[in-house]
Amino acid sequence: MFTNLTKLDLKDKQCMSDAGSPKLCMKALPGEGAERSCAYDGARVVLMPITDVAHLVHGPIACAGNSWDNRGARSSGSQLFRRGLTTDIMENDVIYGGEKKLKESILEIALRHNPKAIFVYATCVSSLIGDDVDKICKEAEVELTIPVIAVNCPGFLGDKNIGNRIAGEVLFDRVIGTAEGPNEKIPLSINLIGEYNIAGDIWGVIPDLKNLGITLQTAITGDAKFDDIRSAHKASLNVLICSKSLTNLVRKMEISYGIPFMEGSFYGIHDTSETLVNIAKALGDPDLLERTLVYVRKKEDETRKIIAGYKTLLENKQAILFTGGVKTWSMVSTLAELGINILAGGTQNSTPEDFQRMKELMDPSAQIIEDTSSAGFLKIIAEKKPDLIVAGGKTKYLAHKTRTPFLDINHGRKLPYAGYQGMVTFAETLTRTVLSPVWGLLKQEFPPKESEQDD
Amino acid sequence: MSHMKTSTKATKDWLNTLEYREKNFAREKLVINPAKACQPLGALLCALGIEGSLPFVHGSQGCAAYFRSTLSRHYREPVAAVSDSMTEDSAVFGGQSNLIEGLKNANALYSPKVIAMFTSCMAEVIGDDIKAYLGNAKEQEAIPKDLPVALANTPSFKGSHITGYDTMLKGLVECLATARQEDKINDRLYVVPGFDTYTANLREYKRLLKVMDTPYTLLPDQSDVLDAPNLGTYELYPGGTSITEMNDALNAASFLCLQTYSTPTTRKYLASKEVPVESISMPIGIAGTDKFIESIAKFTGKDVPEEITLERGRSIDAMTDSHQYIHGKKFALFGDPDVLIGLVSFLLEMGGEPVHIVCTNSTPLFKKAMESLLASSPYGQGSTLYAGKDLWHLRSLLVTDPVDMLIGDSHGKWAARDANIPLVRVGFPITDRVNLHRYPIIGYSGVINLITMIVNTFLEEKDRTSSDPYFEMMR
Repeated sequence: MFTNLTKLDLKDKQCMSDAGSPKLCMKALPGEGAERSCAYDGARVVLMPITDVAHLVHGPIACAGNSWDNRGARSSGSQLFRRGLTTDIMENDVIYGGEKKLKESILEIALRHNPKAIFVYATCVSSLIGDDVDKICKEAEVELTIPVIAVNCPGFLGDKNIGNRIAGEVLFDRVIGTAEGPNEKIPLSINLIGEYNIAGDIWGVIPDLKNLGITLQTAITGDAKFDDIRSAHKASLNVLICSKSLTNLVRKMEISYGIPFMEGSFYGIHDTSETLVNIAKALGDPDLLERTLVYVRKKEDETRKIIAGYKTLLENKQAILFTGGVKTWSMVSTLAELGINILAGGTQNSTPEDFQRMKELMDPSAQIIEDTSSAGFLKIIAEKKPDLIVAGGKTKYLAHKTRTPFLDINHGRKLPYAGYQGMVTFAETLTRTVLSPVWGLLKQEFPPKESEQDD
Repeated sequence: MSHMKTSTKATKDWLNTLEYREKNFAREKLVINPAKACQPLGALLCALGIEGSLPFVHGSQGCAAYFRSTLSRHYREPVAAVSDSMTEDSAVFGGQSNLIEGLKNANALYSPKVIAMFTSCMAEVIGDDIKAYLGNAKEQEAIPKDLPVALANTPSFKGSHITGYDTMLKGLVECLATARQEDKINDRLYVVPGFDTYTANLREYKRLLKVMDTPYTLLPDQSDVLDAPNLGTYELYPGGTSITEMNDALNAASFLCLQTYSTPTTRKYLASKEVPVESISMPIGIAGTDKFIESIAKFTGKDVPEEITLERGRSIDAMTDSHQYIHGKKFALFGDPDVLIGLVSFLLEMGGEPVHIVCTNSTPLFKKAMESLLASSPYGQGSTLYAGKDLWHLRSLLVTDPVDMLIGDSHGKWAARDANIPLVRVGFPITDRVNLHRYPIIGYSGVINLITMIVNTFLEEKDRTSSDPYFEMMR
């Protein structure tokens, strides 16, 4: 029933990513479980963190009612992106069409809420009833002075990663490169692609970039302003830091604007340093490279000193890791930096390269998680009895029920883990998680067995 | 068109004016910051309360993932549900093959005692006939012929979570209960809590029924499912109304529905089967709880036990201790009809003034009931019910016509912040505070809990903001 990861031939070129679609984004089987979200959710995840635009969901209450402001992407400025805007499609709209309603809604938002642009999300229902979201957006745009951008991402197109890709296409086609003025490249400037500023992650990286003299043109899309993304094509380098959902975007930007891209991760000391050094190399400035090498050595020493105490407490703990994207491999080394071994690892959202990298970094004896359903998870927890599970929110309460310490590293978390500062936060949080007295309390037999009473 | 230029006045200040409030209330098509969830989410909650019941979403998988995470965040518990993951080809060819394969896999993986199948939008728009599909699934032996599968049509573009709950409840009774037989009428009162997201409310109902020596069945009962003890293993089906009692539901001596607006479809169905049904408001506040206790006493024919009388006395004592903190205070509220009726009734009992009442899921019947409740008290004279409005309307009300406190779910926190007033969290979802669903808001103990939450919030505010001369030991 499940993709056999162990037997997946990773050398087979056929299964390497081509158009940027992560090949390990396994399709959910009917009736298997309901772990995975949809294309609409995927598009929203990518676009929603753009802070000064309005995000209008053209759909029934399910789509917006369950999702407005549910991701923890933070903004240093406008909070408009968090407003729950929807046409709330009702039965009559299903029968007679919702285009008129959509048009009026767009105008209402434009006139009263001062957005820099409006993103209009099509959903299962609006697509099935044949509402022409593109046409309505174009019409509205003629009447308004701001861009009105259709995002055709009905949930039934498939998994979240498809929505990610659609969002990338929308950004490329409609936003990037539309800024007025000269198009010269900004020296030593980068875009962070796939960084959504969950819990304020990006703010843990920006100080290092600043210290090195690297300009962050924009993140796509964490704490991003619409106008900054319009000028994203002026950056000298794209740094892809979350999965490969936006590989399509960086490839297109490379072809159209000549911006090279590289992959990186800001989780963990080693990966943060490596990414900074690689950025310096890719930007091709010898001075920058030299000062970066000095800088990362200094930061590494500082950070290692700070986390040494935590490391002592966490050394030799055994973890199960389940995540997607770059975190698949980056978390292996991040945990290793704290002396934590991985007993088993798995992914639902990665490319074969990400997966292979994880495999190489893990101890050869570590198990690959094949069955990613709740049932499969419970089985592996029972078998491995880990000291810790590091995964996303959907696994959280399952872990708690099995009395296993759990750390959320996806969007459900409230603390930033990126960069050197993030590593300190991560180590501190992880220690509190693993060493909570609660776990000991849970493991006590009650009522105590007679033999224990005798002791 | 020049007049269509983007308004430069749309600053935060302008949003706080009466001028904007007027424009905001003229808004018809757009919903901003919705205060309702969808039908299938309600259906899922309902389905979880039956023993061995696996919720099954016929529709696209993203819906199911959303419902699960929303419920999971409220209860801080795992929530079991499957979806048959309809995709684009299902839109063209219909969802039958997904449904059949889904049933097969779900049954094999999770061995449910009953499957509660409900639709999300997509299946409804393309017009899937789930009853016929289910017949075909059993024909093809995808699942055993005797595995009960309850059905509910719950598109999100109709109704809301409370109507979805109702439809699924009717579906479960329809599927599991045998026909009523006059010679087999049981002695039990079937108590239907309605869309109630407080596990503690459900436990409190059961406690009160036990104290009153009532043979009862709580239907559905999610209390153990969504507040399961931590025993070191994860149970997929940790409780719920037993299948036996479901089978016998139509032979109930009587049904008592504790929410008027989240059970009409079920009540109509029960009435059509000639089952006696009574419906009362959610027992929040003294009058509401009294009515509940009286209904049960009437059913059992026994006196109200002293234990209950003492409990009531303690609640009223708490009310006398703290009336001064609520009397004359102005409130705004939003939420579901049944919860609102209860909360407003409670506030009026305490002399609080429910100035703005926003109810997205209002109905004409509810409007009438709320208006007559408000008319019955001098403290309700300055109150207005805003039917069908959202939380952005509420925001306008709060900033132009201020009150002392907002009562509603976590989604109200932006409006409360903009108006610089405290939010006391009551309703669903509550995702930014812990344990509130573990404190009952119904019954006499609920009265004490509501007083605790509301009054102590006011007192905290006072301590946090008062100047030295007014900062004191006694409040």
